[in-house]
Amino acid sequence: MSSSINLTLKIWRQPHSDALGSLETYTLDHISTDMSFLEMLDVLNEKLTKEGKDPVAFDHDCREGICGMCGAIVDGVAHGPEKEVTLCQLHMRHFKSGDTLVIEPFRSRAFPIKKDLLIDRSALDRIIQSGGYVSVNTGGTPDGNSIPIPAKQAELAMDAAACIGCGACVASCPNGAAMLFTSAKISQLALLPQGQVEGKERALAMVAQMDSEGFGNCTNARECEAVCPKGISIRNIARLNREYLTAVLSEG
Amino acid sequence: MWFVRFVTSSIGKKLVMAATGLLLFLFLLTHAAGNATIFMSSAVFQDYADELHSHPLIVLVFSSALLAVLLVHIGVGLYLFYENRAVSNNRYVVSKRVVKNSLASATMPYTGLFVLLFLVIHIFGFTFSPKDVPISSTVRDMLSNFFYALFYITAFIALTFHLSHGLWSMLQTFGVNHPRYELFIARLSLVLPLFFFLIFGGIAFYFMTGLGANY
Amino acid sequence: MELNARVPAGPLAEKWDNHRFANKLVNPANRRKYRAIVVGTGLAGASAAATLAEQGYQVQVFCIQDSPRRAHSIAAQGGINAAKSYQNDGDSVFRLFYDTIKGGDFRAREANVYRLAQVSNEIIDQCVAQGVPFAREYGGTLANRSFGGAQVSRTFYARGQTGQQLLLGAYGALSRQIKAGRVAMFTRREMMDVVLVDGRARGITSRNIITGEMESHVADVVILATGGYGNVYFLSTNAMASNVTAAWRAYRCGAGFANPSFVQIHPTCIPVHGDYQSKLTLMSESLRNDGRVWVPKNQGDLRKPADIPEAERDYYLENKYPSFGNLVPRDVASRNAKEQCDLGKGVGSTGLAVYLDFADAISRDGRETIFKKYGNLFQMYEKITDSNPMVEPMMIYPAVHYTMGGLWVDYDLMTTIPGLFAIGECNFSDHGANRLGASALMQGLADGYFIIATAVANYLGTNKLEQINEHAAPFLDSRRGCEDRIARLLKNSGGGPAGKCTVDEIHKELGRLMWDNCGMARNATDLQAALEELPKIGKKFWDHVYIPGNTREINQSLERAGRVADFLEFAEIMIRDALTREESCGCHLREESQTEEGEAKRDDANYSHVSVWEHGGDGAPKLHKEPLSFEFVTPSQRSYK
Repeated sequence: MSSSINLTLKIWRQPHSDALGSLETYTLDHISTDMSFLEMLDVLNEKLTKEGKDPVAFDHDCREGICGMCGAIVDGVAHGPEKEVTLCQLHMRHFKSGDTLVIEPFRSRAFPIKKDLLIDRSALDRIIQSGGYVSVNTGGTPDGNSIPIPAKQAELAMDAAACIGCGACVASCPNGAAMLFTSAKISQLALLPQGQVEGKERALAMVAQMDSEGFGNCTNARECEAVCPKGISIRNIARLNREYLTAVLSEG
Repeated sequence: MWFVRFVTSSIGKKLVMAATGLLLFLFLLTHAAGNATIFMSSAVFQDYADELHSHPLIVLVFSSALLAVLLVHIGVGLYLFYENRAVSNNRYVVSKRVVKNSLASATMPYTGLFVLLFLVIHIFGFTFSPKDVPISSTVRDMLSNFFYALFYITAFIALTFHLSHGLWSMLQTFGVNHPRYELFIARLSLVLPLFFFLIFGGIAFYFMTGLGANY
Repeated sequence: MELNARVPAGPLAEKWDNHRFANKLVNPANRRKYRAIVVGTGLAGASAAATLAEQGYQVQVFCIQDSPRRAHSIAAQGGINAAKSYQNDGDSVFRLFYDTIKGGDFRAREANVYRLAQVSNEIIDQCVAQGVPFAREYGGTLANRSFGGAQVSRTFYARGQTGQQLLLGAYGALSRQIKAGRVAMFTRREMMDVVLVDGRARGITSRNIITGEMESHVADVVILATGGYGNVYFLSTNAMASNVTAAWRAYRCGAGFANPSFVQIHPTCIPVHGDYQSKLTLMSESLRNDGRVWVPKNQGDLRKPADIPEAERDYYLENKYPSFGNLVPRDVASRNAKEQCDLGKGVGSTGLAVYLDFADAISRDGRETIFKKYGNLFQMYEKITDSNPMVEPMMIYPAVHYTMGGLWVDYDLMTTIPGLFAIGECNFSDHGANRLGASALMQGLADGYFIIATAVANYLGTNKLEQINEHAAPFLDSRRGCEDRIARLLKNSGGGPAGKCTVDEIHKELGRLMWDNCGMARNATDLQAALEELPKIGKKFWDHVYIPGNTREINQSLERAGRVADFLEFAEIMIRDALTREESCGCHLREESQTEEGEAKRDDANYSHVSVWEHGGDGAPKLHKEPLSFEFVTPSQRSYK
């Protein structure tokens, strides 16, 4: 049943990229436990607006856990304490009245902070641009059923393809690595015959791009997998390692 | 050149760590097998040591290669440690590890460095020990020192931790991760390090407690 | 305003071929000299941009989010239709065409819909080639399901994330063109204006959301792929940034807006539970296959559902529509739920919900079977509401989901402004007065991958365009106009927030007005009242809205304010359109137009047309009509009794 709680929020406030940021403390009373985390932030922002203060900037869009736009570190954990949800799907009933929540932006050398909790994740786009696709033009493609794909293989590809590109993996990796993100796309395409054609070039190019963006090195700490809102497995990283090794040995 | 590009890439560095780690692990296996002869008798152990040292060329090639592997493992490891620290230092006001049992993975550089310190002392103590004293006596004499043995045991604990993440991590890096073998690998990366601990730690314990006083 | 649909002559099945042959082409070597602007990176925008760039055009692409991958197409769950007939169950291009046009209650253009059905098969092939992980049968062939009451299995899907996977495919194709240097990608940009030079669309003015800067972009054609306007209701299943601004700016520049009152309302959404609520979540329609919809027979019955005996429950859908029962189409289910709640029989804390009960299904098929079918949906529901549908009935309520109305376009998807095209949900073309399930993805990709390129080539091949740059007067004027508008939005913000209202407060007020008066069931009195109320909200907005911060920084309140300002203006033509359409059709019941049994009554004699609204400057908007004629199908009345 819904009830209401009172919270103390410590939120990272930073006016713009070049400014110094700090944690600001806010108190928020009568928060319905049916609210989502982002709705709680909406309420805070309405309150700040009415007090003539600057509302907290945060990214969000679909609010149903699929667009990958939202995300923050809540008490040290990306997307908060619940498993396999994004911040917009985290409901306030998972917190207790009197809790103090520390809310910080996703941080990585490759994710500059733009304002408050709002960051620039275009490095992830550039990784995809370097080869995260099958190079086919529109039109002239063979019939969809011309190449049978084992159902299991398609399911595995779908497991990897479920990535929403939110960047939680990077934010919670102790080394700020983007391996889970990169491996998810490489795995998806490596598992499908359509993607295997240029699999080697893809692995080399995407890893090179990932490294040049300033992401850290993977040390198999598994934090990425633990916070991924879509439950993407580090088995994909193992697959990427295999793909990369064979690519390097034969093509690199 | 492709090789330079490869070893300087993030995955390349990881693969180097895994490959050198695997070689060091194999060395540990042989070392453990050899040392296990201690439990049989001082004579058997001495025979093993003498036999080994009667092939100086093999020993030279083997130990130089081992040294090279070790240096690469340490060098790349330290470099990764340095790079990763640069990324991760003081990122968050509050940060929490979500993975359970993350102690081993979080302390890899430290356990590694501790094992390195141990190695230096170990090599000075045994490898460069006086040639005229039988090695079995050296082992008994040195490990009978309580604090020296305690240091050894501590180092083996560090090694156990290092290996418990290292073994799993090495397989993951080589791309060995499959649901069917997941449990097996998880157990293996617990059992094997403990096995090493039992053998190496057992030797130290054996002498430290005076059990091997008449060795 | 001249509405020439330019539908090609000839038999239905040959129109598209004839048209492609008649269309002018641009020599491959010359294409790089032309620039196209694509606004929006959903299925339609991303696929159009990638396709045009592959063909050699220079393309500039704009999106509002931080990455093109986040457009709201990503949230589509169910699937995408195609007339592949892989299941050998009697499907064909003509059947898909017929189902779509009938589903739209005969308010769409035959030729457009037929073309959509024709290219649907190519879409599937294209997506498979891109590595979209569609569900497969054990033999490795593509799996299909029947969706939204269709009698054939023609829906392709990738779990419940079909939209995401199709969008990521198009995003991949777009990314490839960015890498190749043929697409310049502008993220975090909001389109503020279309720039017309000599009556032709020659560029846009956009605002950089990070820096606040107004930017001009020059092109030879402008393609809008900016989605639907469901957020005019404040609460909808749309993403928070979905808005009408781009389409509305085009309208203000002279583009006709077609059928703005055609909005689809989805019956199975999680009900509103508080006034802080920001968004409604859709639950798959498949739930109605096994769930029974009911409300208490007595008004204001506050007992727990388990305490209400069978005799005091009203299974109103089963009682009213014995042959279809709980599986009546979306609009009928939605309308009846609202009717029950309006009668005071709604349940839940707000009284704005009805039960969807699985108890009978569970006792019939067993817990395991039901959980296997709907487990993931139940978990999603429980995550949001903290209530388990295996134990107590689910609560559902209708929510705004999709907008069939949009910018009027001809057969080539060009608006009434030459050089300005509209694709995907932001045009009006294919869904008539109601959209079939799994057809939105099909339309977005059909427009983007297979239709827009030939239309653009024809436009460029038949028109001689002068060289201009962003220093030309029209661009300067547009920039200045946009800056002025922002200054006007911020004019109340000096002197603090005391006695003023926030953007969201106004938006909620607008949303309530629209939901209450221009929602599922409409009547002249309420619409008229809303039309009178609307300017008051508008005045309150412009006189009292308080927006913190300034324009030269990230200012999310300012972004929202701009969008709400456009929704406020746009709502007027929505209401007017609903007012002038004195028939029930598709999604909407016009209360004055009902059969004796209280069902929707379409009026083909008077309303078989597309209503197109033209901006009237300071005066009232002008209504134009594009008559719809049906040469190949015969309009029939729906009946679900």
